Amino acid sequence: MSPLGLVLRLAGLVLLVWLVVQPTAFAGLLALFTRPGQPSVYNQGSLLALTISHLLIVASAIAASALLAVGLAIFVTRPFGVDFLPVSRALANIGQTFPPVAVLALCVPLLGFGTTPTLVALFLYGLLPIFENSLAGLSSVPPPVTEAAKGMGMKPMQRLIGVELPLSMPLMLAGLRLSTTIALSTAAIGSTVAAPTLGEVIIAGLQTGNTAFVVQGGVIVALLAVLIHEGFVALERSQRRRIGL
Amino acid sequence: MIEICDVVKSFGDTRAVDEVSLMIAPHTICALVGTSGSGKTTLLRMINRLVEPTSGNIRVDGRDVMSVPAYELRRQMGYVIQGHGLFPHWTIARNIATVPSLLGWDRRTIDRRVDELLDLFQLDPATYRNRLPGELSGGQRQRVGVARALAAKPNILLMDEPFGALDPVTRGKAQEELRIIQQKFGTTIVLVTHDMDEATHLGDRIAVLDKGRLLQHGEPADIIANPATDFVRELVGTTDRAFRLLSLATLGEHVESGTADGEPLEATMTLRSAYSELLWSGRKAAPVARDGTVLGIVTLDGLGRLAARP
Ligand SMILES: Nc1ncnc2c1ncn2[C@@H]1O[C@H](COP(=O)(O)OP(=O)(O)OP(=O)(O)O)[C@@H](O)[C@H]1O
Ligand SMILES: [Mg+2]
Repeated sequence: MSPLGLVLRLAGLVLLVWLVVQPTAFAGLLALFTRPGQPSVYNQGSLLALTISHLLIVASAIAASALLAVGLAIFVTRPFGVDFLPVSRALANIGQTFPPVAVLALCVPLLGFGTTPTLVALFLYGLLPIFENSLAGLSSVPPPVTEAAKGMGMKPMQRLIGVELPLSMPLMLAGLRLSTTIALSTAAIGSTVAAPTLGEVIIAGLQTGNTAFVVQGGVIVALLAVLIHEGFVALERSQRRRIGL
Repeated sequence: MIEICDVVKSFGDTRAVDEVSLMIAPHTICALVGTSGSGKTTLLRMINRLVEPTSGNIRVDGRDVMSVPAYELRRQMGYVIQGHGLFPHWTIARNIATVPSLLGWDRRTIDRRVDELLDLFQLDPATYRNRLPGELSGGQRQRVGVARALAAKPNILLMDEPFGALDPVTRGKAQEELRIIQQKFGTTIVLVTHDMDEATHLGDRIAVLDKGRLLQHGEPADIIANPATDFVRELVGTTDRAFRLLSLATLGEHVESGTADGEPLEATMTLRSAYSELLWSGRKAAPVARDGTVLGIVTLDGLGRLAARP
């Protein structure tokens, strides 16, 4: 990583934490976006609490997608599971063909308002990238390597854990990165059905015509997405190096 | 002892291995030769059950391979896969230690064994132990592949074109190493190759496969002298079969009495190299010596007689 890149990322992180923990420090700057009489810093709740809840919603939805998608990818690459490859692909695709707003709208009558429909939408949305990438990763292990593992007398579980998973880790992480960054921005939409995310700040701004709210909500979401994306990239790179690529 | 009895392996309509019966005696090297697609790899992989026969059976030391769990069978045999197949995310040491670790050897014994093998293959342990396969040359990787197969001191070693990617010099060295190891430990080796020179040089016996069928099985000299079919004759090569025959024996086995001048030739030299040496130095005869003691002589005429059709 170049020194400049490092400085920029650190600056981004400092800005994010500062903005979330002590938004009043930016009151003057944000006031540039307000009309007379409007508050410049979000005042209907704590930005910190919203950020944490935003992250928690994303993390739990993506953790669930990862569990299912990776499990599915492992299953369909085992001898007893190959028959299910087309079915599981179709299943994961469903999550992608529905726009998240549609999923949200469909979930509300079933699940009511609140966090649950958002979780479901993010979960469905996260499946495909993780599944496709895990599948690509598992099938990218060179045949001589898997054959050698078999030929040395490793049992199926030992081959999976010792050889196949480590070698497909970089691609799996790439899938996780895609899903997570998509979910971070999509989660904001969840606030339209009353999920406590940073979308609240943006929506409040839109409803009252307060651009400062929109700006601070947008900047926080954007910084979160960029920094988490960068974190994943660094992790993938170190994994790649570890497996000698 | 490996006994292959009437083994057939079909993939759909093609018979990759077609009613092959083959007996491989303990402590010998059997070279499986044949053109690409003749079924060498398939036959080899049936010995450690990476491929299961459609019919027929294979016994190793009297036990049907299908009667033991596959993983147990494989841990008892060394396997050098075509194209090395090292685990790219494991260090050289961990790669070599694969089977000993699976067998639950203790840490210290494993470390000692790894260093011993690295030494044997002339890879300095301190330098190479902790490298990843990606940081080695192709030839070094292939040697590590062989070291990994030997790690748990198997009685049987299955090798699929282990020296395929090596240059002639390194290949020659690797073949010598293998010979030495085989003689030292009495390993039974099944060696797949399409290099007839390698087969005659290393094999105690050669098995020739074509389109899945076993055409001939015998000692190299026998196969060179009496090829069973036109295909075998073509494989052996008609233009240089006299030289192939000469390459099978060493000077020490054919010393003549008499005296000759000039630089003595080593008794361990093959007849073929000695013939070339005589021609090159323009001599009709040369002394033969072992460790500095002259045993006798070798003559062009004598070599000429040995190279003639038996
Ligand atoms: N898993 C498989 N499925 C279908 N056909 C196969 C399979 N494995 C091998 N074959 C076929 O069986 C035949 C023998 O293949 P094999 O790999 O044993 O040849 P080989 O003698 O080792 O060739 P090479 O020298 O090129 O390695 C070939 O025609 C090949 O296409
Ligand atoms: Mg082959």
